[in-house]
Amino acid sequence: MITRRELAAVAAGSGLAASVEAQTAPLPADLATAVRDQNKLMGDALAKFEIPLATEPAFQFKA
Amino acid sequence: MTDDVFFASISELNARLRKREFSVVELTKAFAERLERLGPRYNALANPLTEIAIRRAKDVDDELKQQRFHGPLQGVPFAVKDLLAFAGAPTTWGAKPFAGQVFEENATVLSKLDKLGSVLIGKLAMVELAGGPGYRLASASMFGAGLNPWDRTRWSGGSSSGSGSAVAAGLVPFALGSETSGSILTPSAFCGVTGLRPTYGLVSRHGAMPLSWTLDKIGPMCRSAEDCGLVLQAISGGDSKDPGSAGKSFYYTPQYARKLTDLRVGFAPDDLEWAEPGARPAFEAAMQVVKSLGVKLVEVKLPAFPYGPVISTIVSAEGSSVFEQLITSGKVNELADPKQIEGLKAGLEIPAKDYLKAMRIRTLVKEKFAELFQQVDVLVSPSRYGIAPKITEPLDVGGAPGGHPATSAMAALIPACNLAGLPALSFPCGFVNQMPVALQVAGPAFSENALLALGREFQARTDWHKRHPDVG
Repeated sequence: MITRRELAAVAAGSGLAASVEAQTAPLPADLATAVRDQNKLMGDALAKFEIPLATEPAFQFKA
Repeated sequence: MTDDVFFASISELNARLRKREFSVVELTKAFAERLERLGPRYNALANPLTEIAIRRAKDVDDELKQQRFHGPLQGVPFAVKDLLAFAGAPTTWGAKPFAGQVFEENATVLSKLDKLGSVLIGKLAMVELAGGPGYRLASASMFGAGLNPWDRTRWSGGSSSGSGSAVAAGLVPFALGSETSGSILTPSAFCGVTGLRPTYGLVSRHGAMPLSWTLDKIGPMCRSAEDCGLVLQAISGGDSKDPGSAGKSFYYTPQYARKLTDLRVGFAPDDLEWAEPGARPAFEAAMQVVKSLGVKLVEVKLPAFPYGPVISTIVSAEGSSVFEQLITSGKVNELADPKQIEGLKAGLEIPAKDYLKAMRIRTLVKEKFAELFQQVDVLVSPSRYGIAPKITEPLDVGGAPGGHPATSAMAALIPACNLAGLPALSFPCGFVNQMPVALQVAGPAFSENALLALGREFQARTDWHKRHPDVG
């Protein structure tokens, strides 16, 4: 069973500075597929998040 | 020279140099010898620069003799994460495919410190490619797992692993690290040192390895908030060679700091519930110290956003673009961490719609944090909810990313503030099983003086930052 702290880490962290003591998760046999699946799930999470149509990305082009 | 120099503050070392208790050469030799001798014990040393350092130290001694003073960093040795270019010496980025890489120009921050007479004595180990899109094990580095000086069976944190270990073990008075999302704050917390993540754009990244152009920051890791202020003043400032430069300087002015009794400090009571049970008493006691400073504590909630998917998408897409040639050439397979290898490859396939959606959400994150900082001046939270993990433990959690983070606690404060480009200071606030734990204070853009003032007062009332491991 996933703990609240583990759940928070998944929701909050990028893994760049991962530090949560997870229950030992075996390395998936097909890591490549697992990573792509995770990226797909992240994309789905972003798609579900509704934002105003006029919101521009957080970068600017300067002429 | 006595061993107390190894844990002395920057100001103290500089004062003793000016009084000629010892020379810059003597101090440099002492630290360089210690870094070479003890650095490998913690997998903290990437590359010693002792000979170059001693030559530079002689020049600085001459300057001091001629009473040409350049400020508190003059004559003080330091080392940097091996993602900063130092001309003529290897800059490995912690990654085997770049082991032979040599640049012809110094990173801007190194030129700035050199100008002030600070003496670079070595490059420090790091997680390969600063963690890239994510890694699974502490061993994700060509230097091996960063070992914590408080307990070598535990991780020093990442990705500025060597910087954390080296400062904690007294191998250098201060170090530079970098943060994309947590890479200064985490090793600072795990190693019991004080680390500052500056506002995005305040410190030039010219000459630093890029991982994410819109997130990368360079910052100091030191013995105290005071030392962080001195180093930040030295390395900050506009730089036309860094497209992300804010064109601003930072002046460390504790004498003009806002009165703490005027400061509104946001906190989340649920943080204590989220902390490891063993660490709760330390965090509770630390919050009592914060309260005793006279600040006004205000209960807050973080704005609700899918911080994890947003920051992971941005780092993966930007990082894989940075390292496209490494990936397509197949050299990526020489990296140490299988998850990082697959993450970099998969990052090339992230759809434009996902990256742009993440960057659009980021705009809203920035706006909501601006609103939050109308209610409070700074936020306080545990830097990490527990002590450093064992080096054998997997650092990922293997699950699918969730939607919204639980905002009752500040579990997402690190990625949230990195997305918004905001500064934070991590400082030790107690010990659990002889391992340090830390608090972080985060604030609006360019609020570093407020963060440092709070950290400085906390450290005036506690001695956690003065404790150090027995390294022999």
